[in-house]
Formats: sequence, C-alpha cells, structure tokens
Amino acid sequence: MEFDDKVPIYYQIKTAIYDRIIAGQLAPGDKLPAVRQLAVSLTVNVNTVQRALREMIAEGVIVSQRGRGNFVTDDPQIIEQLRERLITQYLKQLYDQLHRLRISDEQMIDELTAYIERQGDSNDNNA
Amino acid sequence: MTTTLSIENLNYRRNLKKILTDVSLTLSGDKIVGLLGENGAGKTTLMRLIAGVAKNAKGLVAVNNETALATRKSMISYSDPLGGMATNLKITDVKSFYQRVYPDFDEQKYDQMSSFLKLDESQRLSALSKGTREKLVISLTLARQTNVYLLDEPFSGIDSMSRKKIINSIIQWKPADSLMIISDHYVSEIAPILDEIVVIKDNTVAVHKAADAIREENGQSIEDYYESLYGEADSND
Repeated sequence: MEFDDKVPIYYQIKTAIYDRIIAGQLAPGDKLPAVRQLAVSLTVNVNTVQRALREMIAEGVIVSQRGRGNFVTDDPQIIEQLRERLITQYLKQLYDQLHRLRISDEQMIDELTAYIERQGDSNDNNA
Repeated sequence: MTTTLSIENLNYRRNLKKILTDVSLTLSGDKIVGLLGENGAGKTTLMRLIAGVAKNAKGLVAVNNETALATRKSMISYSDPLGGMATNLKITDVKSFYQRVYPDFDEQKYDQMSSFLKLDESQRLSALSKGTREKLVISLTLARQTNVYLLDEPFSGIDSMSRKKIINSIIQWKPADSLMIISDHYVSEIAPILDEIVVIKDNTVAVHKAADAIREENGQSIEDYYESLYGEADSND
C-alpha cells in the first residue's frame, strides 16, 4: 500500500480497512491478520498498526477477543453507520471541491448525473 | 519490560573540533526512531557513543539506568560495517564469529533472516555487493537479542528492491520490546516505519518529535518537515 506521507499513517490504515469492510472484501465477523503480519504487508511500524486498531476498536467496528485476535464486528447497525459515515465523508470532499470552483448545487447534480452516464457507457464498452 | 535510553549533557570533541555539544535525549518504549541529519552532522558519532565504541565523551549514556560500559554494551546491538573482518572470510565464518562473541546471538533467527534475504552462506565477504553486504549486517545485528538496536545508514547506496527487503526484515524481526534507532540522511524511504524522529543539527539535537504528530499538526510529510529545518536556517543566515 502506498501512503501519503502528509497524512498520519495510522489514519490511512484505518481508512483502508474501513473501505475494505464497506466494499465487502472484509465481511462481518472476519478475522484480521495478526498485528505484525499487517505491519509487514503494509510496510509500516507495528506500533502504527496497533494505534489504528485501538481506534477501530474504540469506534466499535473492530472487536478484540482476548487470545483469539481482532474481528470485524457482526453488528449490522455499526456497519450501516460506518457506510453512511464514509459516503458522507467522500461526498463532502467532492462537494467542497466543486463548491470552491463556484459550481452551483443544481449544476453539480447535472454534472454528476452526466458523469455517471458516461461512466456507465465506458463500463459497458469494457465489459 | 520497555527500554529506556537516556543521554544527558553529552559533549564530544575530536582534535579540538566540537562534534557533539550538550546532547540530551530520552528515548523510551518499543519504538523505531529515525536519527536524521546531514552528512557529517554527528549521527555516526552519536551512535558510536551510545554503543560505547567511541570513548572519552563528557556526559552520561544509560540504557535502563545502566551506565557501566560492559553492561551497556551487552544491551546494545550496533550494526558493525564488518570493516575489521578479513575479506576472504565466508558469510558462514562471520556468523560463527558472532556466535562465539555474542552469547545472545540467536542462530535460528539469523537463519530465518538469511533465507528471507537470500544470503548465500558460502560467499566470501570480498564477493558481496553493497546491498548483499548490508543484508548480512542487518541479519547479524538483529540476530542478537538485545534491548537496543542501532542501525547506521543501512540504506545508503542500496537499490530499492534490497531496501524493501531490509525494511521488511526490520518490521518482522525487531523484538517487540526493543528500541531501534536508524540513522539516515534521506528520510522519505523509511518515513512510514518511524515512530519518532531525532534531528541532529549544529552539533546537537534540534528536534525530537513523533512522526504522526508532524503529519497531524503540521500537515507536512516527514521529508518536507526535515527539509524545512534547513531552509529556515539558510534564510536566517
């Protein structure tokens, strides 16, 4: 995984794992790899992985079971809240950036609709 | 037990030239610390003083409150560039030498690293490329079970594939409760594995800060932050 060195690494690890959960690559109840294994595969420090895990555990998305490891929560409500939070977060980035370009709300909706249609076309062509 | 390295008012001169002035530093916990500074800033000297290889400094160096040289040396594994070894020795001879000299040398751990880094034990030191030599140095240094690991510029002049392998072995084989100091004058390649950085500038410690605190508080990459320390100095001159 490539990191942006301007953003705290623990935060980027957290974001990457949350993305995988919402994308379904990590399912509810799945076990996470051991801390050192995660550190090796991400090429980061063990302490940084631990800090990311601590935050995810505090937020309830990851559940730590003593002696067994760390698991993705199987509470559908927590996953749903996470999904909404991520969607809002990414939409906010998009909205703020377009807003800075003085694109009106109506224009934004039109542009987004047109963009999605174009994406759909190119996806069909690729298929 | 967590490791604490404390340095108090360390002063070191060589040939009437100040190398280090009033260095005070406390490093605590199972961390990886980047020791940064320009070439000639005194990084290697500081490592040699911590390791007890360089002597006659004023001030105090202690590992877990132990200041006696022999005790301290047994708690520190310092990456020796193997300069004292005859070049016709084979890797396996160097390994046997380490086993004889260091009672804390863990052969099993060495063998794991050696096979991960694809070292050929029958090769002679004179035949090793710079990258392979550094892989050997890292394996020997990490195979000792100690409280403190000092790696002096393990990545200088090494290709990116070897660098990645070495970084991976550090993450994999650094004992959980140990403190590791890695010196480098080029930070971006090791930034993701550092907990803290210490910058040596103008013969002393200019900065000691957590890596993620720099990213969080300054919104800067470690490299940009490090370079800004020098940029400011230039404009003040």
